[in-house]
Amino acid sequence: MKEKVIEIRNLSFSINGKEILKNIILDVYKGEFIGLIGPNGSGKTTLLKSINGINKCKGTIKIEQQDINQLTDREIALKIALMNQNTIIGFPFPAEEIVLMGRYPHLKKMQRISKNDRDIANKYMKFTNTFILKDKPITNMSGGERQRVLFSKVLVQETEIILLDEPTASLDITHEEQIFKYSKEMSKNGKTVITAVHDLRIAAKYCDRLILIKDGRIISDGIPKEVLTSENIKIAYDVKAFVYENPFTSLIDFYTYDRKNLDKNIHVICGGGSGSQIIHYLFEKGYRLSCGVLQYGDTDFINSEIMGIDIIKCMPFNDISEELMRKNIESIMKSNLTILTNMFIGKQNISNLIAARYSNDLIIIEDTPIENRDFTGGEALNIYNELKKNAKVIKSKELQKFV
Amino acid sequence: MLLILLGEIVLNTNNKVKNSTIIISFLFILTLCMVIATAIGAVRVPFLDTIKIILNNFGLTHFKITNKRFDSIIFYVRFPRVIVATLVGAALGLCGAVMQGLFRNPMADPGIIGISSGASFGAVIAIALNLTTVSLYFMPVFAIIGALTSAFIIYRLASSKGKVPVLTLILAGIAVSTFIGALTSLILSRIAEYQVREYLFWSIGSLSGRRWEHVNLSAVPILIGIIILVSFSRELNVLLLGEEEAQSIGLNPYRARRTILFFSSIVTAVAVCVSGNIGFVGLIVPHILRLIVGPDNRILLPLSALGGAVFLLICDLIARIIIMPSEIGVGIVTSLVGAPYFLFLLNKSRKEGVAL
Repeated sequence: MKEKVIEIRNLSFSINGKEILKNIILDVYKGEFIGLIGPNGSGKTTLLKSINGINKCKGTIKIEQQDINQLTDREIALKIALMNQNTIIGFPFPAEEIVLMGRYPHLKKMQRISKNDRDIANKYMKFTNTFILKDKPITNMSGGERQRVLFSKVLVQETEIILLDEPTASLDITHEEQIFKYSKEMSKNGKTVITAVHDLRIAAKYCDRLILIKDGRIISDGIPKEVLTSENIKIAYDVKAFVYENPFTSLIDFYTYDRKNLDKNIHVICGGGSGSQIIHYLFEKGYRLSCGVLQYGDTDFINSEIMGIDIIKCMPFNDISEELMRKNIESIMKSNLTILTNMFIGKQNISNLIAARYSNDLIIIEDTPIENRDFTGGEALNIYNELKKNAKVIKSKELQKFV
Repeated sequence: MLLILLGEIVLNTNNKVKNSTIIISFLFILTLCMVIATAIGAVRVPFLDTIKIILNNFGLTHFKITNKRFDSIIFYVRFPRVIVATLVGAALGLCGAVMQGLFRNPMADPGIIGISSGASFGAVIAIALNLTTVSLYFMPVFAIIGALTSAFIIYRLASSKGKVPVLTLILAGIAVSTFIGALTSLILSRIAEYQVREYLFWSIGSLSGRRWEHVNLSAVPILIGIIILVSFSRELNVLLLGEEEAQSIGLNPYRARRTILFFSSIVTAVAVCVSGNIGFVGLIVPHILRLIVGPDNRILLPLSALGGAVFLLICDLIARIIIMPSEIGVGIVTSLVGAPYFLFLLNKSRKEGVAL
């Protein structure tokens, strides 16, 4: 077991009778990179400020086995550094001087800043790529530069525990992830980093452990996959979301949606990506959806699965079996409406086209002529033209008019 | 001695060549100003004789002085006045810089925490009770008691649970100063005309007739106060970043602010009690210097002390010689220079929308 660096027991904090933190219990181990997540006003900042003793709370906080109330401000600052949220400095101090202020707790009264202090400052400024800015006044810096300088100041404090309060809020994507990269590196070198973060994707990408806070309570604590579930996101943020692994980056990603439930079933016959946008649109509209038959790994398959839609599945590179065909037809017959997308038709999926005959109501999406999509040598063409007689044939962009 | 001490402090806290050069040149300018201010006056004394007389009287040298009359003019009339001007100017310049840093507000001066109004109130009581005729010391002592009492009241009013928010402090300062000002006016309306004139003379601020007694009264507290305040320059730098930043690097901003306010109150009060209310020194000197050396208090604080001394010496020289053989209050000169500058500053900060 790793060394415990922070131990919090029954921590509560109130301002003017309003409880901001409620009975927090938390253990933090050396080298962890923890993301504090939760909606605005949930108590992330308050918890960080309690850990470094700025907020005087009920309950106990132990830092490296020492009760925080027995430490002086300076002793705490030698153990914990905090980077505040949105620090705006109105005085034109050069970056190097700002960073050197991080040495404050290490210096005695009237003790000069030594060569060693400057070396430490330079080392971390090089690490955060701010060394070239060392003589630039902080008032003339861009948001990204300023945050990196303030981050260097926190590192220069050379504490075992580093607390960051939304260090990348309000930064553009160029700079958003830098501080997380640096923090990850620091945690690999044995520093313990706790950061409040509002971007859940970044939190999941970089942090080893996430703590989800809602109304001052920890409602989930664990590795990103355990914490970032649809249920937890519904509880914490009051938003419906699907959590999935992004197939492109294999990182945790989110799809948030807002839908009413309509009492109408629609079956979508699709494949090869032709149905994804249609399914997405219908899903948000609130219809009960099914689709098929789709092969594993098909784009439409992946996207439908994220949304939790009923899929009639078959193995890749296999013809659709009679059993699956039957299931598909059942599903089509149950549906009030069937939509046939602008898909390519080959030997393997021609039975989907045949199944469409059983629809109660059929909409055919035709963006490109069937002749260009038929890879069956005319077989599909005949069935398709027959289907068209009893169906509405529309362009995909016209769909909104019909459903 | 004061200057060498100041120079030492600065050179020890900042090892940049550029800054130490500025300090040394300011020390040189100050020394020059002191000699010139001592030499010039209704009776013109040659510079060399001036230096000789000063050194002789400190027992350092035994030069022969041709004109015996010079000796008393230089050593008992002008030189103590010059030293008082130096001390008061240094105190006001430094405390101005400290207050502007502490309140993160370019318009701040020691008046914010009621020093001036409190000192005036103390002075008017001393005058009303006719104590000024009894001893030279009564007025300064009453002024300093008044200044510190009002600073204490304002501080107590603004603090809650050990914290003193800057805005509350400024508002409490305005309210209490106005209240004390009204009490002062009330007393002024009830006392004799010669007493009112005496108060007026004091309140404009003047260095006229300041003698070694005034030096003895003010030198030690001002010098010690200056050293202590300069030693807090790093803390002031940290406070400039804001309370949250200070806390996260282990500096309790409330405790530091309390300590700094306490010492700057004393230094200002002592300065005000020997010279009256001399306006604008604490405002314009730090501002001009901030433009030259930037916001770093480790250099700004000692330079503001030196700069304040130079500025007040020059203003006092002007006050003495402009309508020779008579003279005007130095407070009039500093305000005539300071008020237009203040307006310029106000205009500039409004246009740019930022604090200097």
